[in-house]
Amino acid sequence: MSNPDLSATGAANAAPAQPTHRRFKRRSKRMKALLPYMLVAPAVLYLMLITLYPGIFAITQSFYNVKFGPWQWAGFDNYTRLMGDYQFWGALWNTLVIGSISLILQCIIALTLAFYAYRDPWVQGWRIIFLIPMLFMPSAVAFIYKLAFLDARVVADLFIRLGLLDGNVAWQSSIWLSRMILIIADVWQWTPFLFIIFVAGLQAQDEEVEEAARLDGASWYAIFWNISLPMMKPIIAVALILRAIDITTMFTNVFIITKGGPAFGTETISYFIYRTGFKFFNFGYASAASVIMLIITIIIAQFVVKRAFVSART
Amino acid sequence: MASARKRSRGESLALRYAILGAWALFCLVPVLWFLSIGLRPRIEIITPQPIYFPTFSLDAWHMIWEDWPMGKYLRNSVLAIIGSVIIDLILAIPAAYSLSRFEYKGRDDIGFYILSTRMMAPAIVAVPIFFLFRNFGLLDTIWALMLIYAAINLSFVTWIIRSYMLDIPKELEDAAKTDGAGELRILWEIIIPAILPGIITASVIAMIFAINEFLFTLLIASTPDAYTMSVALANFTGGSDGVIYNAIALVAFLAFLPVFLVVVLIQKHLSRGLTMGAVKG
Repeated sequence: MSNPDLSATGAANAAPAQPTHRRFKRRSKRMKALLPYMLVAPAVLYLMLITLYPGIFAITQSFYNVKFGPWQWAGFDNYTRLMGDYQFWGALWNTLVIGSISLILQCIIALTLAFYAYRDPWVQGWRIIFLIPMLFMPSAVAFIYKLAFLDARVVADLFIRLGLLDGNVAWQSSIWLSRMILIIADVWQWTPFLFIIFVAGLQAQDEEVEEAARLDGASWYAIFWNISLPMMKPIIAVALILRAIDITTMFTNVFIITKGGPAFGTETISYFIYRTGFKFFNFGYASAASVIMLIITIIIAQFVVKRAFVSART
Repeated sequence: MASARKRSRGESLALRYAILGAWALFCLVPVLWFLSIGLRPRIEIITPQPIYFPTFSLDAWHMIWEDWPMGKYLRNSVLAIIGSVIIDLILAIPAAYSLSRFEYKGRDDIGFYILSTRMMAPAIVAVPIFFLFRNFGLLDTIWALMLIYAAINLSFVTWIIRSYMLDIPKELEDAAKTDGAGELRILWEIIIPAILPGIITASVIAMIFAINEFLFTLLIASTPDAYTMSVALANFTGGSDGVIYNAIALVAFLAFLPVFLVVVLIQKHLSRGLTMGAVKG
């Protein structure tokens, strides 16, 4: 990826600057040891402002009853209430169900498409089409599916014309149909994300290994399954983790398409926090939910993400 | 035997194009249909029977510019996004340089901390961030949007740039060092020019995420002073008028086109950028 020409000219330019720098160097050996820390510090401090500070704030607030007036000490009240709140557990469950179905579908579809596309020069020419859904604003995509399924009833109409249905469908009164709309919208928009990563991963593999296996009489499918796929594992892990993070924080589609209904059947954990905090202004309670999410996130980050990113790099 | 193999090869080719073609259609049909929504009069959108061949109309185009301060939304989006990318680059380039070019205690932990902020669900930090901005009087300003977009993208940008920096051969630096160039000079004159593609890729991806950002923008922006394209969409619900879909569709395409163009330009780097450098495609 590096560009030797550019770097070479850079090196030539750097040369005349020596004298001043020698002086600078002698003056500050201690500075030198601190330099890497000083370089990384601004970014870390900035990120702490949006992670550490909110974390501490949320933990503090979660022990108070915060509505409109002053904060009132509440001890563990918010947490005990949360543990008995079926809507909170429901939201966790919905996030898990919607997220895992959606992720599995995206992974299978993206792998299939990548398998068929990665060594095909003709497909590479129009592969950009596959990326289009990903490049729309998520809020726009949510409206596309709200209109297609609910408001304009185009999907039901098409099925009726094809003779697969004999009447309109009340998507919104069924939990599973509503979840399905969210899943379809997510699969439509984000399969391209996995697709482009998988294609890149497959293309980066050594063509000669595949060629050798082919000469031994192995089928395309066998080569993919036994050679390419195992080598892809670290890449698949990284891609799925990035996608999983975004799916578990799913908010926009819920906010626009289902509003969490029917019967809280599509309320994700993000929407639960938003609803308790910014609709019912029960900030202490929302913070308690945030803290629990935070703990789950940290555990997953430590055990899963760290490992995946380290192994993808070796 | 030979012909049997040839035939199965042909069949698998047909299957391949059938599958890829079907998915391409699935990608395109909703988009084209949504474009047709943007170019039809409002009365033809929500009808007892869906209309597949509507009359052409630029109603929505006039509406978004005349009835709504779309110019203002556009300006807010552009300013907030460009500002956030600049903040990101100023913070991320030195950080990435430190993480990729120095050996020191705690380096990997710091790197992982930066990466892990990407995993924070926006909803977790939404409440505290809301109070933080309120205390500073930044609610409903593009400054708040700029700061929050920068924060969301910083981990991504740092890791992408770090990955590109790791690719630069160490000899280049060593040569400059024996010539007496200091670290910061090496960063500025050798490393940054060499990783320009990485910096551009990171900036484009940061821009896309910033355009897409929804939850924070929804909480921070409460008047057209700070509305961006993404949240303005959600406000085209026009109260008693119901959702104004043709306006939404046009705004969506307005935001889509520039994104599409830059992505075509950086296509080769996209997969590497999206995985924060984990995939070198």
